[in-house]
Amino acid sequence: MMRHIHALGRATLDIVSSIGRAGLFLIQSIVCLPSREGFHLWVRQMHFVGVMSGAIVLVSGLFIGMVLALQGFTILVGFGADEALGQMVALSLVRELAPVVAALLFAGRAGSALTAEIGLMKATEQLTSMEMIGVDPLRRIVAPRLWAGFVSLPILTVMFAVVGIWGGYLVGVDWLGVYEGSYWSNMQDSVDFVDDVLNGMIKSLVFGLVVTWIAVFQGYDLIPTSEGISRATTRTVVYASLAVLGLDFVLTALMFGDLG
Amino acid sequence: MDDPIMVEVKDLHFSRGNTDIFRGVDLQIPLGKITAIMGPSGTGKTTLLKLIGGQLVPDRGQVLIDGQDVHQLSRRSLFKLRRRMGMLFQSGALFSDLDVFENVAFPLRVHTELPNAMVRDIVLMKLQAVGLRGARHLMPSELSGGMARRVALARAVALDPDLVLYDEPFVGQDPISMGVLVQLIKKVNQALGLTAVMVSHDIKETLSIADYVYIIADGKVMAHGTPQTLDVNDDAHVKQFVHGEPDGPVPFHYPAPDFFDDILAPAGQFS
Amino acid sequence: MKRNNLLELGVGIFMLAGILGLVFLGLRVSGLGVGVPNDTFTLTANFANIGGLRPQSKVTMSGVRVGKVTNIQLDPKWFDAKVTMELDSEYEGKLSNDTTAAILTSGLLGEQYIGLTVGGAPEMLHDGDVIHDTQQALVLEELIQQFVSNMAN
Repeated sequence: MMRHIHALGRATLDIVSSIGRAGLFLIQSIVCLPSREGFHLWVRQMHFVGVMSGAIVLVSGLFIGMVLALQGFTILVGFGADEALGQMVALSLVRELAPVVAALLFAGRAGSALTAEIGLMKATEQLTSMEMIGVDPLRRIVAPRLWAGFVSLPILTVMFAVVGIWGGYLVGVDWLGVYEGSYWSNMQDSVDFVDDVLNGMIKSLVFGLVVTWIAVFQGYDLIPTSEGISRATTRTVVYASLAVLGLDFVLTALMFGDLG
Repeated sequence: MDDPIMVEVKDLHFSRGNTDIFRGVDLQIPLGKITAIMGPSGTGKTTLLKLIGGQLVPDRGQVLIDGQDVHQLSRRSLFKLRRRMGMLFQSGALFSDLDVFENVAFPLRVHTELPNAMVRDIVLMKLQAVGLRGARHLMPSELSGGMARRVALARAVALDPDLVLYDEPFVGQDPISMGVLVQLIKKVNQALGLTAVMVSHDIKETLSIADYVYIIADGKVMAHGTPQTLDVNDDAHVKQFVHGEPDGPVPFHYPAPDFFDDILAPAGQFS
Repeated sequence: MKRNNLLELGVGIFMLAGILGLVFLGLRVSGLGVGVPNDTFTLTANFANIGGLRPQSKVTMSGVRVGKVTNIQLDPKWFDAKVTMELDSEYEGKLSNDTTAAILTSGLLGEQYIGLTVGGAPEMLHDGDVIHDTQQALVLEELIQQFVSNMAN
């Protein structure tokens, strides 16, 4: 009995201390003065984190938009409301699918790569040696990556939504023969820039921060062995995906919950 | 030891989890000399270097560098102090996203405002000293282990530090690059008048370049002296370590019940 | 150096794609008009029941979009809904003042919108005028109720 209480206590302390460390880590690395040097490091990471994830996001966005149109059409046509296809595709993409799916893809593509990269730097003592040279690795290694993730995910989300809407247009209008004018005008009548587009952007900003944070922290905090790196990479994808889905529910409830 | 003291370690205690790694270590590292810290694997030699560099905080005791207590310094002063230190890591620890040239230039770029032309001159000078001026455009992944360590040495001394810490510089090297490294460390040290602390368990190589040697075992300093005095030391531990005897006070066998009893144990009593 | 330039170019294109995408989402998808306020004129109409009409709903004539609903309020005098709409200014002074406004539904369950039908009166509607002849939204429940009571008779 005592042993179980001990174990519970230890587990609680472990969790609290690891949350504390992660929080401290975030604050120490995200608060930094912009500099020319920092800008160049950030650009390099934007390339690694953002541009390199572009292809997968574009392709997935296209397919998701096409599937949405196909599925939506078969349902809507039953109500004689196939005119509303544009509205359905655009709303589901902008509010929900683009932020969430882009964030999940981002966690798999960029998040795991960040964890592995930083973990490898730790395992090969690059972080320690940087500290010994008198450069804070939080500033030099972690901060540019955090900022790059924070900025790139919203951009990827926008790209996802745009390509998805285009994919929906290809299937809905070009293939299934929905009237082009009503595809766009129904969309324009129902999508609100602030309520839908900007709320979607806010979601993806939050996801960008959380996914990158989890990824770099897992990399920075891992046990520097090959096994440690592979475990931490898995943990990044699992934790980040769960965090995205959980936060998505919370944010959706906050943003759209009062609409009924 | 009449030389002035550069680094002084007083009554250092450190533990990790429930294991005591150091139980009262005292060291005095003289200015301008190569001091080696030796001991069997797992005695926490690398930990000792990290304690000296201020990356770990001891449970008790002090590390004084040039009279400053490393662990009482603010983060800013500690980083300032570290500019006067170079450290050569076991794996080289070159930054994998920078090429050889930029690796050596890194400390110069972050700590000095030197114009590019001057940075270039200094970097080429350091690379020339380690014989890798021609390899300046290679990426770390294209270097052999020995070359990587030489580049790391060039980087460690790029800022002309006062103190260089070497972590197992000879581990895993073939005889040729080992010989090259031994010569280089000796040469660089003499040329720049550095104080060096070297952690190693390669006895022959270390004794050939060290001016003074500490042997650490069981969390304490077991013996110290010049290589000559250690060579003729009569203490059983020292003898076993310095001459590399397989059995002695550090036993060959992991603690186990008597071999015969174990073999002849009646069936059903296997444990 | 050349590799670096290429990298910066890539990031630049990436950022630009993001901004253009956001502009597309703003203009094409949510229909934010770049239109200057001068380009519209305002009409109001009172409806007994607006059904599912809401701000941003479209206003059409013969099925062609001519404007949008900007505001819906309860008129405290008659307790009916006062709908304010903005129409493209090119129609100002061209709609007769006996124009009717009806709340229509696209499809069976679709979006509700206002359809205008021009009458024959010589006076024209101008900015701030009121459309008097209105037709309220069809509410499905009421229709069903009517249908059922007709059947019963």
